[in-house]
Order: sequence, then C-alpha cells, then structure tokens
Amino acid sequence: MLAVDRLTKRFGSTLAVDDLSFTASPGRVLGFLGPNGAGKTTTLRTLLGLTLPTSGTVTVDGRPYRELTDPVETVGAVLEGPQFHPGRTGRNHLRVLAAAARLPASRADEVLRLVELDGAGRRRVKGYSLGMRQRLSLAGALLGDPRALVLDEPANGLDPQGIRWLRDFLRGLAADGRTVLISSHVLAEVAQTVDEVAVISRGRLVAQGGVEELTRDAAAPIRVRTPDPERLREALAARNVAAEARGPNWLAIAGSSLETVGETAAEHGLVVYELFRDRHSLEDVFLELTGETEAGR
Amino acid sequence: MSSQIRSELLKLRTTRSFWLLVGITAVLVVLITVLTLALDTRLETKPDVRSVLSTAGASGLMLLILGIVFAAGEYRHGTIAWTLLVTPDRLRVAAGQALACGIAGAVIGAGIAALTAAVALPWLAAKDAPTLSGGEVVGLFAGGTLYTALAAALGAGVGALLRNQAAAIVLVLLLLFVIDPVASAVVEGYDRYSLTGLEAALIGGTADDTGLDELPPVWLAAVLWTGYTAVLVAAAALLTSRRDI
Repeated sequence: MLAVDRLTKRFGSTLAVDDLSFTASPGRVLGFLGPNGAGKTTTLRTLLGLTLPTSGTVTVDGRPYRELTDPVETVGAVLEGPQFHPGRTGRNHLRVLAAAARLPASRADEVLRLVELDGAGRRRVKGYSLGMRQRLSLAGALLGDPRALVLDEPANGLDPQGIRWLRDFLRGLAADGRTVLISSHVLAEVAQTVDEVAVISRGRLVAQGGVEELTRDAAAPIRVRTPDPERLREALAARNVAAEARGPNWLAIAGSSLETVGETAAEHGLVVYELFRDRHSLEDVFLELTGETEAGR
Repeated sequence: MSSQIRSELLKLRTTRSFWLLVGITAVLVVLITVLTLALDTRLETKPDVRSVLSTAGASGLMLLILGIVFAAGEYRHGTIAWTLLVTPDRLRVAAGQALACGIAGAVIGAGIAALTAAVALPWLAAKDAPTLSGGEVVGLFAGGTLYTALAAALGAGVGALLRNQAAAIVLVLLLLFVIDPVASAVVEGYDRYSLTGLEAALIGGTADDTGLDELPPVWLAAVLWTGYTAVLVAAAALLTSRRDI
C-alpha cells in the first residue's frame, strides 16, 4: 500500500504540493493524473525518498521509503526522464543496481528479457532511443520483483505499440496482486490501464475514485438504437418522455431511466439493438476538473 | 556494506573515463620516471634515489581527480537517483563510494608501483646509483600505494560533497597548489599537517623535496588523511540526506 497523507511541499515561495492525500492499493492500477506542473513528479519523488516533504507523510507499507530494509523488493520506480551514464551499457547499469541490492547478476538479463530489451543490453545507453531508455528504466524498476511499482510518465517516448505493451504489462502486474501507481498528463495513455484515478491540479487533489464512478453521470441522455425510432418516440411521448431523433435509427432521451425506455419498447413489441446512458469520457472529467482549477490561477 | 562496495567498483569499471584516467596516470608516471632518470645527473645519495622511486606517488593527484569525477559524476549524469533508490541510506552510499575508490586506488597504485620498479630499478643499477635495501624499496612502494588509495577516497568524499565535477576539481587544485602552500608559509607548525606534507610523508619523500621543515610519521599522515576523508564523507551524507535530489 502506498499512502500519501496531507503532503505539502514548498520550493522557496512556490507551493508545489498542497495538503495532498491519496492511497494506492494492491491489485489495482491507480492513475495519478494532472496537467504538467501540477505536482505529480514532486509527489512521486517524495514517495521515493528523493525529495523531502515540507509537511505530511508519505509511506510504503506503513514506512517512509528511506527506512525500508529491502527497497527494491518493496517498490520499483520509473522516474520521469530517466537518466543513465551514457557510456555504460544497459546491462551493466542493471548489474550495478543488482550488486547493490544483493541480487545475482543474472537478474539483469532476466529483466532485460522481460522488457524485450535483451538484444540491446550490451550496447551503450547513449545509443538508446527514448523508448529504449524507458524500457531500461522499467527493467531497473523490476529488478527486485517488487510488490509495488511507481511510474512517473512511463509512456513518454513510447510508440503506440510500446504504449500498448506497457498497458498489458501493467495490467498483468496488477492482476498478480501488485500495487501500481502511474502518473501521466496524457489521459489517453492511461485511460485503458487504470482502475481508479487521483486527479491533481495546482498541487491539490481534485478527485479520486474508480473510473466507472467518475465517468458516470445520471443526468446524461439515454441513447437507443432501434429500426423503428418514430414508433418508439411516440410510445415514449405517451408516457410524457421526450425523445429526439439523432441520426438514422437513433433516439436521444433526456429525463428518463433505462428501465422506462426498455419497458416501453417491450410493451409495444419494438426491437431494440442498443440501449445505454451516455458517459462522460475520462478525458472530459479530467479537463473539467483540472480546467476549473487551472483557470483559477 | 560489501554489496555497496561491489556495486560502486562495478560502476567504476564499466565506464571508459575510468580506464582512460588509469591509462593517462600510468603513462604520466612512467614518463616522469624515465625523464628523471634520463636527465637527472645527480643521483648520488640515497635521498636522490628515494625521490626517483617515490614518483609513483605522483599518481595520487590523478586518482584524487578520479575520485572526484566518479562521485560528482553521479550527480552530473543523474545516476545518483538510481543509487539512492536501491540504497536509501546516504551514509552507506557516500562511504561505499569512498571505500570503492580507495580499493581501486590501491590496486592502481600497486600496478603503477610495479611499473615504476620495472623501469627504474634496472636503470638505477646501471647508473651505479646508491642501492636501497629491499625493505626500503618495498616501504616506498607501499607508501605510494597507500597514498593513491587514500587520495582516491578523499576525491570521492570531495565529489560527493560538492556534487559539481568542475567546481570540485578546481577547488582541490586551488587547495593543493595555492591555499596549502600559503597556509604552510603563514601558519607556524601547519607544515606537518598540510596535504602536501601528508602526501610527502606517505610516499616516502623528503622534507627537502617539498620545501617543508618537517614531515609527520607515515602512520600519523595516514590517520590524518583518513580522518579528512571520513569528515568529508560524513558531511556529504548529512547534506545529501537533508536536500532534495
């Protein structure tokens, strides 16, 4: 369990994180979302003991990162814009980390294979593409087969296949019961990966919850696809429910329930191909939440 | 701690800059030895011979720079974040780097001492220079090796504390070639404890070589130098634990 509790971080007069609290639980992928400069990296670096909190606590399994006895087996981290010694090979970078963590050198080869970078492991990092550096960074995070993963903008530099690979990979890790915390400012990259999201803006938490919960909107119109929209519209009108045509075979219905529409269609023996309530996309929710606070700057 | 040292040694060995500095150091020391033997005509006394053989200690300056480049390079390349993610204990990291540099310095120093012996001893014999006893020669080379080890460790402490390679190298050169000599000239009794004095004592040089009045015994020089390194390492660990990476 990763827990951020009333975290505040100031850099001089700049308030980077403001009284932020959220948790990430085992078996779930938590998306940590916010625009650039919202305080995501500062929060994650504080969680990893690289930045000191001004106030509040950040813990991993109940302990600050710096007090962990087996950090690489507890948390694996991918930092934003990961840095490497350009003259060292990817494999040697991992061997250095493995040695400090008392892991066998063979583990470096294993994680290179895991991130599909084994062909480039003996090349110097300065010849790596951005995507390869991200994979090497992920390999470093996986060295200790950790129970939790903290990934700061891991999709940066990955091509569409890479993003898809990362999504499947992270889903697999969560399915294994691990805690995954992934930050991003590009919602489309993580929308299909996460189970829940914590959205921050200007250092403050503006929403946290399941994707389902955040995108649900009871006031959104109902859409129905039927081969006989006019008859259904009339049947609904008889129940004082207004419906509007929305292109061929589609009706949009406001101020009613899925049950009422379904029952009305059944009573009149009408065929229904599709019946659902519109959802806000996660992106709509994100823009709405962060737009409000950003506009208040 | 041994795992940390192994990791730091692997870090050293897996970059080209390390091998480049080792190569330059070896060439430089051999060159100094050859030039001294070829051009110096006054190899008439034992102290003259000791002076020639103690050129192995000249590699200490290079290893001091190596230690700085290594430890401060972690900040230059941003690899310190990786290091601290695996080993969050800042003191363990700073001490591990200093000890790894010390070990590397000892190995390089021993290699360079062997190289100097291979070049200088037959040459000195051919020039009919005064002969030093086996014990004296071994003592000189052991002192040189100890100095290279301690110099590399001190460099790592300076690098970890200052974090900026160029600034740390400039500061150390200023300290060695400007501040130290001036302090020696101005402050009575400082000679014995100056870096120049400690270096000369460790590498078996003479007070005359350095222009100092008196040198401390080798054991005291080693203890003082190690003490300076320990203070730097502790300060680096303390500062790193109190600042953001």
